[in-house]
Amino acid sequence: MGNIMSVSFAPECTEAKNKYDDCFNTWYTEKFLKGKSLENECTEFWDTYITCVNSALAKQKIKPMLDKAREDQPFTSEEIRQSAGTEGK
Amino acid sequence: MKLFSSHHCFNYAWDQVTAANWQKYPNKLSTHVVSVDILDRTIDVERKTLRTERLIGCKQAIPSWLACLVGSQQYSYVREVSEVDLINKTLVLKSSNLTMNHLLLVNETVVYAPDALLPATRTTFSQNAEFTAYATFSRVCDKLEDWLVERFGQNASTGKDAFESVLQTLTQKWQESGTFVSEVGTTIGDKTSEVLHEVGRLGKVFN
Repeated sequence: MGNIMSVSFAPECTEAKNKYDDCFNTWYTEKFLKGKSLENECTEFWDTYITCVNSALAKQKIKPMLDKAREDQPFTSEEIRQSAGTEGK
Repeated sequence: MKLFSSHHCFNYAWDQVTAANWQKYPNKLSTHVVSVDILDRTIDVERKTLRTERLIGCKQAIPSWLACLVGSQQYSYVREVSEVDLINKTLVLKSSNLTMNHLLLVNETVVYAPDALLPATRTTFSQNAEFTAYATFSRVCDKLEDWLVERFGQNASTGKDAFESVLQTLTQKWQESGTFVSEVGTTIGDKTSEVLHEVGRLGKVFN
């Protein structure tokens, strides 16, 4: 564990995903958590990865299920704050 | 509808727990998780909150009496939305199944927050799940919901052990690279950082 990274549901996207994850994890621990950056600094890797994912979601027919879930269980920020007990804070 | 809830405490700081959350899979114990994808990620600058939507692919063995009802699909998918709130120090993860949800719906909420007594070194975990089965015969639904609660309990306990081992591995990596002590490390110099590293290791022995 540690250096082994998780794979994408679409094998053709795994390489792009690992590059993005690497960039994100560094940004998250080194900058975001330390309050140094509130800006996504991995956009270059993200664009390649998400393009691959979106095309695979459509190809594997996961997109319709996903859209339905987004509608049925939106998990809005309000719902999330309610679960955290931080609503109104 | 049936409910499941569990609570646990991890002996790691909240920020470390949230960082490990992104690197939780793959691990030796959670073999049912086969893929993790990020579908969307946004930052609310004002609220200092990072919102992430993920697609988690699972290979879940289902009982044979259920397979004849729903067909034995090889993979099932879960959609998860999470928010890391830096101001209130909370990490909330909400998820539900995308596959077979016309027959049964599992809605899960997990909250990680700094422990009230030891906020710098301990993190509380609380998990709530609700199961709703939509089959025609109520007896089948009852059996299904019971099985889900039981199965969920087993998975929840494995999940905790798995996350413990992930946290342990990552903490070692972070200590070596000085990730969570680098502020101190860079200002007082390498020697001090080495000492801090040693103290950290000793701390682990005594805890």
